[in-house]
Amino acid sequence: MSEENWIEVGSTDSIEEEDLIRFDHQDKTFCVYKLTDGFYATDGICTHEAVHLEDGLVMDDEIECPMHQGIFNIKSGEALSPPACEDLKTYPVKVDNNKIFIKID
Amino acid sequence: MKNNIIILGAGQAGIYAAREIRQNDSKSNIKILGEENLLPYERPPLSKDFLLDKKKEEDLCFHSSDVLKNENIQFENISITKVDFENKKLFTKNDDVYIYDSLLISTGSENKKLTLNNNLKNDIYYLRNLEEAKKIKELVSNKNKITIIGGGFIGLEIASSLSQLQKKVIVIEIGNQLMGRIIPKQIADLVQNTHIEHGNEIILNKQIEKITKKNGDYEILLNDNSLIETDFIIAGIGSTPTVKLFENTNLKLDNGIVTNQFCETSIKDVYAAGDVSNFYHPLYERNMRLESYQHAQNHGICAGKNIAGVKTEYTSIPWMWSDQFNLNLQLTGICNDFDEIIERGNDINNGVIYFFLKNKIIRGACGLGIAGKIGRDIRITSKLSEKNTIVDKQILSDQNQKLNKLIQK
Ligand SMILES: Cc1cc2nc3c(=O)[nH]c(=O)nc-3n(C[C@H](O)[C@H](O)[C@H](O)COP(=O)(O)OP(=O)(O)OC[C@H]3O[C@@H](n4cnc5c(N)ncnc54)[C@H](O)[C@@H]3O)c2cc1C
Ligand code: FES
Repeated sequence: MSEENWIEVGSTDSIEEEDLIRFDHQDKTFCVYKLTDGFYATDGICTHEAVHLEDGLVMDDEIECPMHQGIFNIKSGEALSPPACEDLKTYPVKVDNNKIFIKID
Repeated sequence: MKNNIIILGAGQAGIYAAREIRQNDSKSNIKILGEENLLPYERPPLSKDFLLDKKKEEDLCFHSSDVLKNENIQFENISITKVDFENKKLFTKNDDVYIYDSLLISTGSENKKLTLNNNLKNDIYYLRNLEEAKKIKELVSNKNKITIIGGGFIGLEIASSLSQLQKKVIVIEIGNQLMGRIIPKQIADLVQNTHIEHGNEIILNKQIEKITKKNGDYEILLNDNSLIETDFIIAGIGSTPTVKLFENTNLKLDNGIVTNQFCETSIKDVYAAGDVSNFYHPLYERNMRLESYQHAQNHGICAGKNIAGVKTEYTSIPWMWSDQFNLNLQLTGICNDFDEIIERGNDINNGVIYFFLKNKIIRGACGLGIAGKIGRDIRITSKLSEKNTIVDKQILSDQNQKLNKLIQK
């Protein structure tokens, strides 16, 4: 993967711990999370019924969809609780100079 | 020890119980008996995405037959017509016998039927299962003016779907607001406005006097003498637990099968879970019966643990949702036992929530918003009510303040 695929999301203090922000890039939308051990990124839209996860609740390593409480593991994207049954795509994240970058393919 | 465990009713509670038993007990025989010729499937899409053709039949099953095979869980498509609790036997109408050591009853609930115009019994449609959903979907395709009798969740979800299919829809509700008194009037009114904006007609406070069939269409006479002409009628007037099978037995019934916090019924080795069970909730110190997706799942799992010998209390906070048009409504905890109501927000674009408090503690909440707007706050409410947290009312009522702050770690 070339360097260009790393897209700047914002500064590290733009996200509170155990919380997330929405990040839109071109025609795609993502969620970027700050967990106790670092930053993570997933697709923004729930795999169950196209609702954005930005209004969901982050608990430990999990994001819970605000619509029907489907749960995904933020680090692996694994769908953990129905009605969500399809995994969520995850993206690599790096922090450079207090800035968060995600790698979009 | 190797037991014969039978799960009567192949719905959501049944399948989750079966898989949970297997997680804790690798030896016992587990058999699910279901009268629908289908593996357990999700019902919520029946009134929404299935009618809208966004979800197909094959998208609805909880688990594939491979999952059941791998976990050695048997499924039989059979209807049980008689039970003998004393001898631990179940019978079909052909007198086939099933013998159990432990039994879980998860027979769900069934739609109440309209009693008027018995000669039109076959002309009025109801929605509970996939067969009925398929029939409605097929038949409405060439109908234009559809009447829904009953303004409850399922009736309104059908009204929302049919409106999105460009049908003219009329909803007739006997009460003075939609979705019954458990929903705050303000939220019911917001839902009503959305239906009206989409062209649906909502008639409140009216009773049906008579339905007459005329040239294949229908005339519905209301108690104010007004007449509604319609070409298709669907009724959603509430449901009752499916307990007919147990009426002349020793099983304790009272608005469903009475169970304690361990899903145990009044008969040893007989458990009940899901819509059919009127269970004791230790947090609220009373019995309740819930008809909701998440409850069916969690209650099934809890019953599964107890059947497998892992004694587990059921303490889940009630939660349900309804989706109509682009609105998502959620209800958590109990909203009918309070001494104070606090409002958060007043616009569905950002979400509106009513919190119900008793002695300063949140007991429940009901919210409405576009798509996922209220989900996080409702979820936090469940957590707060679970822990009996005394909350800062200022934060609750101020949408600019995040409720995450209220959760004690
Ligand atoms: C149209 C519709 C929309 C819904 N939408 C929502 C929603 O948006 N949100 C929400 O939270 N909840 C919703 N629900 C409620 C939720 O689906 C139910 O609460 C849940 O399915 C209950 O699960 P259960 O296992 O208790 O019963 P069920 O899933 O009803 O399963 C019971 C099964 O037992 C079978 N059975 C009964 N008697 C016998 C017998 N004698 N022999 C063999 N089999 C038998 C039945 O045929 C049925 O298949 C909806 C329900 C319906 C019908
Ligand atoms: S939309 Fe996310 S769980 Fe349904």
